[in-house]
Amino acid sequence: MAKKTRKTALEMAEPVNVSALKPQDRKTFTQIKTLADDVVQAAETSKDPALDIPARTLSNVHYNQKKRFIEMGKASNRRQLFNLNQARSYMQTMLVASGAKKLIAQGKTTSLRGMYYLLKHTIEGTREETFDDQEESDTVIEDLEVTINALREELHVFAKNAGAMVGEITLIDSGDTIDCTRMGSGGYSVPSIVEPEVIQFRKCGAKFILHVEKDTVWRRFNEDKFWRKYKCILTHGGGQPPRGVRRLLHRMHNELKLPVFCLLDNDPWGYYIYSVLKQGSINLAYESKRMAIPDARFLGLRAKDFEICELSNSVKISLNDTDRKRAKQIAKYPWFAHKKDWQKEIKQLLDNGFKLEVEALISRDISYVTEEYTPMRLRDKDWLD
Amino acid sequence: MAASQRDISVSEFFAKNRHLLGFDNPRKALLTTVKEAVDNALDACEESGLLPEVWVHIESTGENRYKVGVQDAGPGILKKQIPLVFGKLLYGSKFHRLRMSRGQQGIGISAAGMYGLLTTGKPVKIVSKIGRNKPAHYYEIQIDTKRNLPEILNGRGEGEDIPANSAGREYMDKKGIEWNEVDHGTRVTIELEARYQRGRGSVDEYLEQTAIANPHVTIHYQDPEGGETTYGRVTEQLPPEPREIKPHPYGVELGMLVTMLKDTKAPTLSQFLGHSFSRVSPAVAKRICTGAKLTTRANPKKIGRHEADELYKAIQATKIPAPATDCISPIGEELILKGLHKMVPAEFYAAATRPPSVYRGNPFAIEVGLAYGGGLPTQKVSRDALEELLSQSDARTLRQFLATTFDGMGTMAADKIIQQAQLPTRISPGNLDKQQLDRLHEAMRNVNLHEGQTMTVLRYANRVPLQFQAGACAVTQTIMQTNWRSYGLSQSRGGLPTGPITIMVHMASVWVPFTSESKEAIASYPEIQRELRLGLQAVGRKLGMFLRRRQRVKHEGERRTIFLRYLGEVASAVSQINLVNRDKLYERLLTVARKKTAEADVKLDDRGKVLEVEDYGGNVIIVDQEGAAEAGSPGAAAPGSAGED
Repeated sequence: MAKKTRKTALEMAEPVNVSALKPQDRKTFTQIKTLADDVVQAAETSKDPALDIPARTLSNVHYNQKKRFIEMGKASNRRQLFNLNQARSYMQTMLVASGAKKLIAQGKTTSLRGMYYLLKHTIEGTREETFDDQEESDTVIEDLEVTINALREELHVFAKNAGAMVGEITLIDSGDTIDCTRMGSGGYSVPSIVEPEVIQFRKCGAKFILHVEKDTVWRRFNEDKFWRKYKCILTHGGGQPPRGVRRLLHRMHNELKLPVFCLLDNDPWGYYIYSVLKQGSINLAYESKRMAIPDARFLGLRAKDFEICELSNSVKISLNDTDRKRAKQIAKYPWFAHKKDWQKEIKQLLDNGFKLEVEALISRDISYVTEEYTPMRLRDKDWLD
Repeated sequence: MAASQRDISVSEFFAKNRHLLGFDNPRKALLTTVKEAVDNALDACEESGLLPEVWVHIESTGENRYKVGVQDAGPGILKKQIPLVFGKLLYGSKFHRLRMSRGQQGIGISAAGMYGLLTTGKPVKIVSKIGRNKPAHYYEIQIDTKRNLPEILNGRGEGEDIPANSAGREYMDKKGIEWNEVDHGTRVTIELEARYQRGRGSVDEYLEQTAIANPHVTIHYQDPEGGETTYGRVTEQLPPEPREIKPHPYGVELGMLVTMLKDTKAPTLSQFLGHSFSRVSPAVAKRICTGAKLTTRANPKKIGRHEADELYKAIQATKIPAPATDCISPIGEELILKGLHKMVPAEFYAAATRPPSVYRGNPFAIEVGLAYGGGLPTQKVSRDALEELLSQSDARTLRQFLATTFDGMGTMAADKIIQQAQLPTRISPGNLDKQQLDRLHEAMRNVNLHEGQTMTVLRYANRVPLQFQAGACAVTQTIMQTNWRSYGLSQSRGGLPTGPITIMVHMASVWVPFTSESKEAIASYPEIQRELRLGLQAVGRKLGMFLRRRQRVKHEGERRTIFLRYLGEVASAVSQINLVNRDKLYERLLTVARKKTAEADVKLDDRGKVLEVEDYGGNVIIVDQEGAAEAGSPGAAAPGSAGED
């Protein structure tokens, strides 16, 4: 076989000084090494090298009534090297493992996309690429996470920063003190790794956390210095909150004992974001215990708000078929199924036939949401649980 | 009216109806001439127990004029018979007997000579020599069409004697008599109006097909363009000499019976039946006579028309044993394989010789050979050869040219090539410029025609290729009626199967029932069709087995390559992590992969059942395609050895 002219970044193997690693990295590295050793052993005993990957499917997650979040079941899929349909993904899994090992050994981190580029190359003697697109490597990274029961962050892979935070809290991020009351108009950008090694809480004057759906609403609250007036922490997740935001909310909720209130759009998507924050997601069910906030509350918007806030017809957005389908699905979620208020809420949304964005409140007044709507709801304890 | 009525001589009749003998057009005339001469030469050699060696020399002597010389190393012909053999229609040794031979009627070669005379005015030239030290005889003969008699033109009507050895050679050189130096043999030279063209129905094709079915024959061929080809024999073994048999009573027709009754020397009817026919014992003769209400002691010469009719019916109604079938000399499975393997490049060969059977009292045997896969005729043609073919073609469109020049090419396939070459469909083949020619050649090499390619059928009767009237022939009809789909080929309803496949079918019989005098199609007797079907099915089953197995091997091969592709990556990744020796791990994984896929090789068939290793049952050749390129010789694959893949 012809030798490749240029060695890829991956090909330079280097020994790992295990004792020099941080405890967490040592654990992750050991797990990765076990995977590799298994392959060698299988090869030597002429067996099928295989990986057991916990199934990340709807059928393998269930709602734990007691803990009140989604947990992953015990089902797993066997991924074999000598199986036509699995050979490629098996190879990819081992590649990701070797990529993670390299990152750990060098004490560096990279993004999902970075990992994709690190591992992507043409398979020797063919025209086939190890990964065709980033989606492929993202999935395999998740596979590896669940297989060795390590967080993505523990594999030294992070997602891009998304979401921002301001409010009555001071924390230390990688040694730098961040005073979240002095973050200007942009706020503190929440990193994807917020584990205690990276972020420690220093001082907290807040009494609760207000999480809003998107940047635009968050800006409104920040500009009006809502967090100062009501002593709170204000976050947003840019739609579906990334893990960093979820993990940080979870930590603040549990470590600082702050209640979490969500202000989201009144549509199935908004409900779903709430559901994920509260109960966890199917895809990341294995991390629910570190992310789900079963006590999070849904402050708004509510289907009834159109009338209560006397909004004009022009802010209505009609529900489409997907919305309707989605709403009905959500109504059947086990954690909503037995809650009369939620059933009523979803029924009313369907009856209304339209959805409302938080920005719709602006039609009343620019600061209506910060000066009247939210304070009123908090005062009246008018929320869904 | 009555005054103008007179005898028509056979020669006159055929001179006016030359299409009946295969002289419809100049192109076919050339083929028929060569064919008749070669068939005669082969028969002559075989009958005298000599391994046939034949020289065919075609030379252009002017526009649309060719000189055909065919010489054999046979026994030679006695001096006084030469003029009759070549100068009289319906003169021969073959008509009056029931024996498997190529020629049957004794029309062919004299008809060719007559055609030559009619179109060019040149007489037939014959040289014959019967022994090493015997003189050769040289005749120039023309046929007197009115009287159906030969006229000798040289040596004052006596022919010329050429002394043996060097004196003879000088004499021949001086006179311009063509002769390849052999101890004994015959050379016939005919000059005729003809047209030479390669492709389907050509002399080249005839010789090639003859070589397939006659693996004991060597043919040296010199074409009009100066190309020389030799089809060497692949066996030194002469086919067993067929025995001559008496007709079987079932095969005789009423008119024939009447003639035989008149001509017989037998004193009694019983003796007549016993002596003139095969399989008639005195007991059988008696039963026939009783059936016809005639006494066994009746005088055959005195049997009247009505009684003859009764006798004929009684014969048909009486149970008579089938004729002896040992008079048939089939080619044999092994030699069919050898012949096909030599002439038709393919991956898989199978052959089946059916046991002899009987139709209308005539014994016959069917043999089928099959060659599958391998290169395509369109891919073998060189650019120069293509240019030449194009310039010779009289096809009006390129599509027609492609479909008629190359075996197994349908119009669909032709369209595919033309489309690929980006040429207009209706372009004339002669009008291609250099670039278009290049594109066409390129397209012919690249377009995969396996799908659109139809089966090539080679038909033989008593080892003679049948090149025309395929549609009317029992062989073609039976192939179309056979279900080839169950053997892994695709076939549209009532059509020839498609795929890179060549089938040769040989009917050996003491009397091959042709549909017409030009001997181009076998008549569809139910008994013949039945045997054909059984023979086709026999090779079909073997092909099916081969295709299934190959499919499986291919599938496993694909599996293996998929694994192999990823093994390297896995080994690298693992060695990255735990620093094991990458190459050693790779080798280990490779071993496991081989084991995994090898297991699957034998375990399951395409229906997922546990598979026993099937036996082809002998008489197949499987050519290892990877090795075939270097080996290329027939020795590379052992004929008759089954189940090696």
